[in-house]
Amino acid sequence: MKKFSTAALALTLALALCGTSLAADFKLGLMCPQTGKWASEGMDMKNVVMLLVDNVNKQGGINGQKIELIIEDDAGDPRSAALAAQKLASSEVTAVIGTYGSAVTEASQNIYDESEIVQIATGSTSIRLTEKGLRYFFRTCPRDDAQGLAAAAVIKKKGFKNIALVHDNSSYAKGLAEETRDALKGSGVNIVFYDALTPGERDYTATLTKMKAANPDFIFFTGYYPETGMLLRQKKEMGWNVPMMGGDAANHADLVKIAGPDAAAGYFFLSPPLPQDMDTEAAKAFLADFKATYKSLPVSVWGVMAGDAFVAIEAALKAGKTTSADIADFLHNAKDLPAITGTMGFDKKGDRVGDFYRVYVVDKTGAFKLEPKN
Amino acid sequence: MEFFVQQLLNGLAVGGIYALVALGYTMVYGVLKLINFAHGDLFAVGAYLGLTLLVSCHLGQTLPPFFAVLLVFVLVALMVALVGYLLERVAYRPLRGAGRLSAVVSALGASIFFENALMLIYGARVFVYPDFLRPDFTVTLFGYQIPGMRLLVIAVSVVLMIALQIFMLRTKVGAAMRAVAIDQGAARLMGINVNRIISLVFLIGPGLGGAAGILVGIYYGQIDFLMGWSYGLKAFTAAILGGIGNIPGAMVGGLLLGVVEAMASAYFAVAWKDAVAFFVLILILIVRPTGFLCERTADKL
Repeated sequence: MKKFSTAALALTLALALCGTSLAADFKLGLMCPQTGKWASEGMDMKNVVMLLVDNVNKQGGINGQKIELIIEDDAGDPRSAALAAQKLASSEVTAVIGTYGSAVTEASQNIYDESEIVQIATGSTSIRLTEKGLRYFFRTCPRDDAQGLAAAAVIKKKGFKNIALVHDNSSYAKGLAEETRDALKGSGVNIVFYDALTPGERDYTATLTKMKAANPDFIFFTGYYPETGMLLRQKKEMGWNVPMMGGDAANHADLVKIAGPDAAAGYFFLSPPLPQDMDTEAAKAFLADFKATYKSLPVSVWGVMAGDAFVAIEAALKAGKTTSADIADFLHNAKDLPAITGTMGFDKKGDRVGDFYRVYVVDKTGAFKLEPKN
Repeated sequence: MEFFVQQLLNGLAVGGIYALVALGYTMVYGVLKLINFAHGDLFAVGAYLGLTLLVSCHLGQTLPPFFAVLLVFVLVALMVALVGYLLERVAYRPLRGAGRLSAVVSALGASIFFENALMLIYGARVFVYPDFLRPDFTVTLFGYQIPGMRLLVIAVSVVLMIALQIFMLRTKVGAAMRAVAIDQGAARLMGINVNRIISLVFLIGPGLGGAAGILVGIYYGQIDFLMGWSYGLKAFTAAILGGIGNIPGAMVGGLLLGVVEAMASAYFAVAWKDAVAFFVLILILIVRPTGFLCERTADKL
């Protein structure tokens, strides 16, 4: 049955493609996990890109040229990704959107680069992907070290001068704390307390008492929500009113339950915006369109990143760049493209430029509210 | 000075819970010379059962909080005591003649069993005790503001320790337990039902552990299926520090470990807290290999 439906789908697709490929279409590949553990993310990526491509084609394409979308499944697995990349390369696509996992993207990077195909990854945050000096590689998601820069920017903007920086010795939280510390060097913000607590414990009063003695005006704990909840709760119990911030590992509804709404009120954390919270005009229009077509919202922001990748390619085509070399040069110099998740540009390495992390504040009822940009 | 006193109080409150859990380790060891590694997990079972009774059975809503908590304490202590009894029947009694190592391996197996059972039944996420149960008052003592719940934790540990000590030293059953601890064969010849005494030990120890689980749940709010392991390890350390097998020793060891940890965080580094605490433990054991309060045993010739 499954085989039959796949065959039927392929046949319809083939027929549909025959119908539209009379003019010299722009061939765009999409590599996403349609099976395997990340299939739900892949489904979103596919839905997002298909919707945007349909909209463009309905309006007669870009500069009269329609877009032909070729979708390949990478199964969330590096080996399948290498096969998918070879298939797309032999279909002679000019650019490829995808994919989600860093290891999966890495397996396909060199294949695209050698075939001179522009690749725009959408969920692969591993730092080294853009450290290889590949000319044709871009990504619309931030790197793993972008959050530390975002944290430092928020701390500076809110005007804190003496901060306490705490992590839990996990590689994620420690990395975030170190990157924040490095980003704050020479900015006039003093780090008066820097230490690690032991995750999984219940009692952090000794840590808090010591922190209080250093007299910080702000606490940044980079770890996960269970410890964050305990810290907030015990800080309140001590009667210590100091603002506290977290990273995106604190983004969990149980945080407020653990801390209690009173203790959690006013706490804020950095996180990628949830799809329903994205507040740009482009995002609102896109989400309304998405909801009308698929009767639901994207499950996470990563699927929407595939839409951002399409916006990048669309912008290049509108500027009359149709070969992969031209598109790559255009994107390396692009600034302020109106992407769905916010304005977007790319640097020389192919990393996205522009803010992505947003601040969520816990309100009095315990709900997470997106802090408006100003 | 204020900083020091504050950290001392922090340490004592943590130590109070270590002591409460350590009582269960030390009782079982005192009688059977068996380290019941599953004790920490029985403590976690108590925390989960307490939450189930309070939330799913709506005890927290239908009764005034004080009585609800009291009732849950009694019910959970009884239920965990029953689990402890079954554990002894299933995992320890068949191995009693088989040497100590087999029993220790069986205890480790039981510990893994309980952890995973909790995870499969309740799920791997963190659970939270309802907030309204927590007594929210502050006591001012010598000019220091101390959350009332911290004093309560220490008070409960001390009261239970004293009650247990009186039970062991002043009652007939307690005397029988001490007799079994010294020599099972001789105790049997004196007309003591050794199996029944050992079952009783496995009722009292886990019962206390279950009660400690609820105390942690109510005070800290947050429970998870792995909490038994981390608290168990610390409590076991506390029992050894105080002299395993000795009931006041568990109390002294627990409080001491809590205070050493707090002082290590305060004057060294938070990240090095455990390393310093265990370094102190090693030093103490080098000087006094049997722990602070030596286990009193009859000389065997």
